[in-house]
This record gives sequence, structure tokens and C-alpha cells, in this order.
Amino acid sequence: MASRASPEEIYNVVAGAFDVEFYLTIYDDVARAGLDPIRHFLDEGSREGRDPAPWFSTRAYLEAVPEAAADNPFYFYLSAGWRLGQAPQASEFASAHLWSAADSGNSPGSALQNGLADPRVQRHGSRPVADPAASPDPWTVDRDVLLQVFDADYYRAIYPDIAEAGIDPLDHFLTEGWREGRAPSRTFSVPDYLEFNPDVAALGINPFLHYVIAGRSEGRLGVHDLGFRHRMLARLLTVPERQAHARKLMDGFTADPPSGLEALGRLGSDLHLTFSHDDFTANVGGLQLCLQREAAGLARLGIDHLHLFPVTPWPTLRPDSVPGLTGVLLNGVRLGVFSASQIAQALRKAGAGAGRTFALHSLLGHSATEVLDILKAAGIRKGHLWLHDFTSVCAGFHLMRNDVADCGAPPPDSPACSICVYGEHRQAHTEAHDRLFAALDITVAAPSTSAYATWRAASTAPEDTPHIIHPHATLTPTQASTPAGRKAPLKVAYVGMTALHKGWAAFEDLAEAFGDDPRYAFLHLGSRPGPGSRVPFRQVSVSAQGPMAMRDALMEEAVDVVVLWSLCRETFSLAAHEATSAGAFILTHADSGNIAAFARLGDFGQVLDSEADLAALFRSGQVAEHARRRRKPMLHDLTFSETTADLLGTAR
Amino acid sequence: MKVLVYSSFTFSYLNRARVLFGTLRRFHPDWELVGLITDRPPKGFQFDVKDEPFDRVVYAQDLGIANFQSWLFRHDIIEVCTAVKGPFIHQACSGDADVVMYLDPDTALLAPLDPLVDWLRTDEILLTPHLIDPNQDRAAILDNDLSASRTGIFNLGFVAIRTRGEGARFARWWNDRLLEYCFDDIPRGLFVDQRWCDHVPALFDKVKVVRDPGYNVASWNLSTRKLSVGKDGAITVNGAPLRFWHFTKLGPTGDVMTKRYAGDNYPVYEIWRWYKSQIARVTDPRIPDRYWAYDHYDDGSRIAKAHRVLYRERSDLQEAFPDPFSTRGGGFRAWLVAEGLLDHG
Repeated sequence: MASRASPEEIYNVVAGAFDVEFYLTIYDDVARAGLDPIRHFLDEGSREGRDPAPWFSTRAYLEAVPEAAADNPFYFYLSAGWRLGQAPQASEFASAHLWSAADSGNSPGSALQNGLADPRVQRHGSRPVADPAASPDPWTVDRDVLLQVFDADYYRAIYPDIAEAGIDPLDHFLTEGWREGRAPSRTFSVPDYLEFNPDVAALGINPFLHYVIAGRSEGRLGVHDLGFRHRMLARLLTVPERQAHARKLMDGFTADPPSGLEALGRLGSDLHLTFSHDDFTANVGGLQLCLQREAAGLARLGIDHLHLFPVTPWPTLRPDSVPGLTGVLLNGVRLGVFSASQIAQALRKAGAGAGRTFALHSLLGHSATEVLDILKAAGIRKGHLWLHDFTSVCAGFHLMRNDVADCGAPPPDSPACSICVYGEHRQAHTEAHDRLFAALDITVAAPSTSAYATWRAASTAPEDTPHIIHPHATLTPTQASTPAGRKAPLKVAYVGMTALHKGWAAFEDLAEAFGDDPRYAFLHLGSRPGPGSRVPFRQVSVSAQGPMAMRDALMEEAVDVVVLWSLCRETFSLAAHEATSAGAFILTHADSGNIAAFARLGDFGQVLDSEADLAALFRSGQVAEHARRRRKPMLHDLTFSETTADLLGTAR
Repeated sequence: MKVLVYSSFTFSYLNRARVLFGTLRRFHPDWELVGLITDRPPKGFQFDVKDEPFDRVVYAQDLGIANFQSWLFRHDIIEVCTAVKGPFIHQACSGDADVVMYLDPDTALLAPLDPLVDWLRTDEILLTPHLIDPNQDRAAILDNDLSASRTGIFNLGFVAIRTRGEGARFARWWNDRLLEYCFDDIPRGLFVDQRWCDHVPALFDKVKVVRDPGYNVASWNLSTRKLSVGKDGAITVNGAPLRFWHFTKLGPTGDVMTKRYAGDNYPVYEIWRWYKSQIARVTDPRIPDRYWAYDHYDDGSRIAKAHRVLYRERSDLQEAFPDPFSTRGGGFRAWLVAEGLLDHG
């Protein structure tokens, strides 16, 4: 059946792969007559058995695929035949043409003179370059042509080893890079092209050359963008794999002698016992800052602070069956590493006290039974469970199904939980917390209303569990900003660490898509740049000593818009507060928890539905409405809470 | 209604069957689950149905197929595992089940199949087409629509019948056809059991073509089916609950087809990740890769597909060698050697 394509469409498809120079060289009657070679081929040449390119023999193709005769055979191949694996044969004139072109400074000869090392020729010695009798290689491209499509800047940026070694990026790609699966540009992926085009893989050639010579005009895709979530899923580890890794890390530790806990014998009556996932004095992060502030508050109140943490990081609660070791900090001083029974014994010896409380900031790496034993030994029943995350609801404490999307903590027997890596491990977390709620007098402390609402809907804790909403930071308006009126690119920033669940991939995609758009300037402010990222980076480290560092940097840079595309529902977003305090506008999506709630609450930002909507906002230019000079935003001071230290009056 | 579900496989697909039956047990603990096996357990592997997530096993040689060894030899592994579906479903119509359902071992349930049983209160034969929406994209037409035209409109990874009336009549007809003509021979209009079922809407009444997108989702229909996962935990396909998935071609080939049509619809990859992890969990390393007890003559030498084709086309060979697997006293293999159809004796 003949094609239903219009003549224009056929012309366009054929023109994409048609080799004008070849056609005019081989068929000099066409050249002499001054005809449009493509039009000639379509009108007459094809029927006369003429070849449109050195790699395509019209006669051979018609013999192999007789049904192509109903169409222009070259068009048939380009639009359908290649998918059916109907590989074309080279034109009988290919050899003559290629070597005459080489003589005249085109194609392989000149490419080599220019320094292009054709990997097929050089590496495999398939034919001597100067031997015109050898069979032609249709997969050669002039270096100048390649330079138009090869993105040397990109290659240098994502492969710093090439820049460091001072190697020419194109030379490297042509000789080694493609074999290593490196990308010659943002729009071409070697592994993708080989995976989706097994016919090309079978040829054993550099797939980028195939794409440039034939593939792109055949409608093949240079990259199959399956989205960053596909990449995340490809390297997703199961919970048992993560736990096994955690156990291995723990193996290197042994308990210190119990004498290291003698200081506990001198505890005062007022004691606050905290549990979290690490040593907050040694690590950096939002939760660590909260605990640092809590510790400072306790010191000011004259309350002893005993902090317990797993000696190595754990992905979940530690099952009771797995022995572990716990690090001990007393008033900020590290006493050492001990077993839970050693700690319980030391606390039991120290005796009870009237003013004793606890705060469970994170139970990752802790065993619920050990926590209960320790609190019992210390004579403590009353305390707070903080909702810094949702460990009390699921082993997937960010409530991210398979680490790619907010799940909303659906019923544990739902289909979504059944396909999630955390699904089977959810019950262990809820059961452990049920035991804590049954044995202890717990008030749930949430840093935001949205965090509490999520927790309450999903938690199995008793309905009458008391709670309090206590934000980690509050804003106080100071003055309206008076930005300069001149028009400048909209400055769009990402704030903080480049973790995928924090939305880095979505931001990077945006910055890549609009990086060359003069309307926008992208910037990353954080402690470390993203791996291989081309987004301009400024180092900013927030600490207890420099709590305003991010806000100050946002103001100095006059950032207009901050993209806070956290994939998980944030229980409290310090970044959102920093952005607003600095007068930047927030762009986020509906599943970002406290960010979306905060943005809506104070009209501090816009809540979008999807990454596609985010891109559309930039494409249309509408995002420019949020430029600082248009909004003249109010600036704010940030006041930080001292977390549980603020609440102890209520708890005691 | 009493429901019996069976799946046909060899030991190399036991892992898939375990996942399928595990999901069936989860959603339908009261259904009878039967493994139909055309194979013998490999050496060193103790097979005990008590350890399996299905209720009983039926071996193909116990289906009462005449001249079983000869019949078996005429088929390759896919052909024979498909062919035995016919006799089993036909014989099951004489049992106490009201509904018999077949599911390929590489399918798995994501939600209950109750609506199928409800449909069988009025209809008696249920089939799921490969495609329920036409493709518009040329590549998808070439890959999917034309593929279905060659291999069959309906995917026979699933069929469900009432064991009475039209359902039983279908089972009888399918039994007869598959015993004689269950070959992968597309030029002659045969693609195992599937092309036969193109006739079903014409030959039988009370046929329901299941056009609900939640059933039999597979790489060949992903181009027109979009997955979503709701905050309520429901997984939907074009808005309908996802019931069962057909994880065809576990491995690189299946991955490419899935990626080509799923694009950035990431829940598809979540489901595949889950399936692969389930398979890894129940794969028994004692079963050799690609194991099949009937892929060799009794002297251990491999049986080529061409030998099976030759044997099935020549009734004289079938008469002369009623057990073509046997090499005792010559046999079919010795004949092949004598005829110069095998390189060595």
C-alpha cells in the first residue's frame, strides 16, 4: 500500500538523509542540468534506480523489500523499513565517491588530517586509509560537521577527567568516550541509542556517528528521557540491602568499658534525655541544628542533657533481634560507645530524679525495646516525640514511595504499599511506636500543622495522644525591599543539598532546559555543588554560629525565585523560611508538605501541579512576574526555636 | 462460585509461577490454584507442592494425551506449554469448579479479580485483547497493532470460562485444536493457541471481550495505557484499578519495549522493580537456567527445533518412532544421523 504522506512530507524526510554532494558527483547529468537533486530523485531518479546516498542502494533495497516499490524506496526505508530491520546495502558508487571526496579534502582523508582519529580505522585496522580498493566505510563524518553537533563544553563539564587531562573532548569521545558510554551532548546518550537500536549496536560502530549520518533523519531519538525518577528507581536499594550495609558498618565497633559512663552517676535531678539518628555535634543538617539549639537552651536552663545515638547510621529502626551500640553525649561531651544494657545499668545506678524528660527526635538506628529499657532505668515516662520525619508511620520515613513520589501514607494493605520497597517494613515501625505510646506519656511535637495533619491521619497512635505545633523558626517582618529597577535576568536559585528527594533533579532539569535562555540566570547555594552539575554554584554553610548565612547569601545574590521542589512532604522547611526572609519567591508543588503550606499561607510562593507546569511557567516567561523588582517583597527576620527546651515547662 | 485458576509452566518458570500464585493466594485465598507442569524436576531439586503457593500440581503426562511422548516431541517448549492448556481446561469442565481461569506464569495480580467472576454470571467466555485502543503513532502501530495482527487479537495469557454451556463448548473446541495445531507457524496462520482465539467471537455466544484497561497490562499496550498511583494507595490504569500485569520478557528485551512505551510514566518502572524483586526472592538456584527435561534425547544430546518440525510433519516417522526421545536400539536420532541430518552419531 502506498504511503499516505503528502509530497512535502516525503520531500522533507528524504531531504534529511539525502546526500546532495554524492548525488551530484555520481550523476553529473543532474548537476549539468542544474536540477534540484532531491526533486530529481523523487520524480525520476528513484525509478531509474539511482541512489540517494552512498550507504543506500535503491536497487538492492527493492530486491530485498519489494513492497517498498509502492513508495519511494528511500522514503519507505527512512519512515518504516529501518524499524523492521531491513538494513540497506551501500551504493555501488559509494567507494568511488568516498575516495574522490577524500582526495578533494572531504570525508576520511581530511578528517584524519584535521586530527580526527576514526576509531574504526585506527583501532581495528579494518582497512588502510590510503587503500581505495578497500570496501567503503559509510560511517565517517567530517570533523567540521561533528563539531556542530558535539558539545565540547558539556563534555568537559560532566567529565572533569577530560578537562584535567587536557585532552581534546571530541578526540576523546571518538576514540574512547563512546565505548565508555559517555555522552557527546545533552541530547544524545550512547547507552540509550544502543539499547533502543539493536541494529546499530550490531554494527559495532560509534552510535553517535550513526545518529548524525542517518539516525536523526530516520526519526530515531538520540536520548530516551525516561525522567529522573526512572534513574532513581534503577539504583533503588531494598530495605534488607540497606540494613545489611548498616550492619556491616557497625561491625567495626566494640563497646567501651562501663567506666566510661561513670559521669552518669553525677547527674542532677533535672535531666533531659534525647534520642536521634546521629551525633548532632559532629554532623551538619537541619535536625542537627535543632538539637544544637535544644542543647543550648537546656544548658541555659541548667538541665543536664544526655543524648543517645546509633554508633553508625541506620536506614530504619533497628530490629530488636539485631544487637547494636549506642553513642553517648553528656552535655555535649562524648562519653563513648556502649550497649543499651550498659547505659540502662548506669542510669539505674544513678537513681531517679524529679525533673526528668525525654525527646525522641529520630529513632532510626534505635531498638524500641532498648529505648524503653533505658527510659525505664532513668525513671522517665514523660516526653515528646518530634515529627521531624515520619519514622513513626513507616520505614520510608520521608513517605516517598520507592523514593520517587510522595505516597501520602496510604493504608498499609494498599496496592501502592505492596509495590513499595518500604511496604513490608512499615508494620515494624508502627508496632514499635505503638509500644512506645502504650508505655510512655508522649506528647507529639510537630514543627508544622501540615506535618501533624499527615501524621495524625496515618499514625496508629491513640486518638487522644496530646500534641503541640512548635515551628523551628518564625518570621518577623522588617522592611520592604527596594530593589534596583533595571531589568536583569530573573535569578533562580536552588537552596541546600543536592539530594534527589530534595528536588535537585527537577531543578537541574529546569536549569539544563533554560540554561541558555537569556531571560534566566540559575544558581545553586549550598555546602557542596551537585555532582557533575553545570549550574553556577556558591558555597554557603549554615551553622549554629552562622544561622543566617543562607538568607544573607540569597539577599546578596538578589535571588528572585527559589525552586523548592522537595519530592517529599517536608515537616518543616527552613529553606522556605530563609527564602521568604530574604524576599525570594518560592516555586513548589502540592506534595512538598510544609513548603506548599507555607507558600500558600503567606502568599510567599506558587504551588504548581507538576514539573511540566514548572517548565511551562519558564517557557512562557510568566515566572518573570515574580521578579524582585516587580514584587518589592517584604524582608523578614528569622527567629529560631530551641525545640524541646522551649516546651519543657509544658512537659514537666 | 467455585473458581479454579491454573498456569502452565516448566521448572525454569517456577519462580514466575510462585509470584503469580502468591498474589492469587493473597487476593483470593479460597480459589483453587493448580500448577500445570510439562517437565520433570531437575536433579538436586526437591519439589514438593506443600512448599509452593498453589494447591496441587498436574503433570502434562497425566492429562491422558494419546501417544504422549510422540505428541510432546512435536512441540518446542513454548508450543507444548501452550498446547496443554487445552486438555486441562476441557477436563476441568468435568470437575466441581464453576469457573476456570488460565493465567500465564509471568502475570501477577495487583488487585482482586472479582469483577471477572461477576461478568461470568452472565457471560461464559472472557478474553483480553492485546489492544483496546488504537495506536496513532507509526512506530507503535508497527510494534503493537501489526504484531497483534500476526500473533492474535487476544492475549491468551488470560482466559476465563464458565464450566457449562458456551464455556464448556469453547473448552472442548480449544482442546481439539491445541492437541493438533498448537505451533508457532505464523506463515500458516498459526501462533500457538492465540490465532485460534481470533475465531472465538464468531464461533461462540456469551463471549465478553474485556476492554477494561486494568487487565493484562503489558509492554504491547503501554502505548495507550497510563498508570497512576493515588494518595489513597490505589494503582490505576487510565483511571481503572490495575488488576493484573503481564510481565512478558523479563530481561533486556522486555525492558526496552517497556521503556519505549512507558516513557516517563514512572509507576510502570515501580511495578517492574517490584516484580523483579519478587522473582529474585523466589528463584531457586538449584534449578539450572533455561532448564527443561524434554530438550534432549535420552542420551543427553540436544533436540533441534528442526528435528521436532520434521517429526511432526512426517506421520511415517511418528509411526516408526513412537518415543522419539529414546535412542535405545537406534531410534529417531539414529535415523537423523543416517539421513545426514545430524553431524555426528
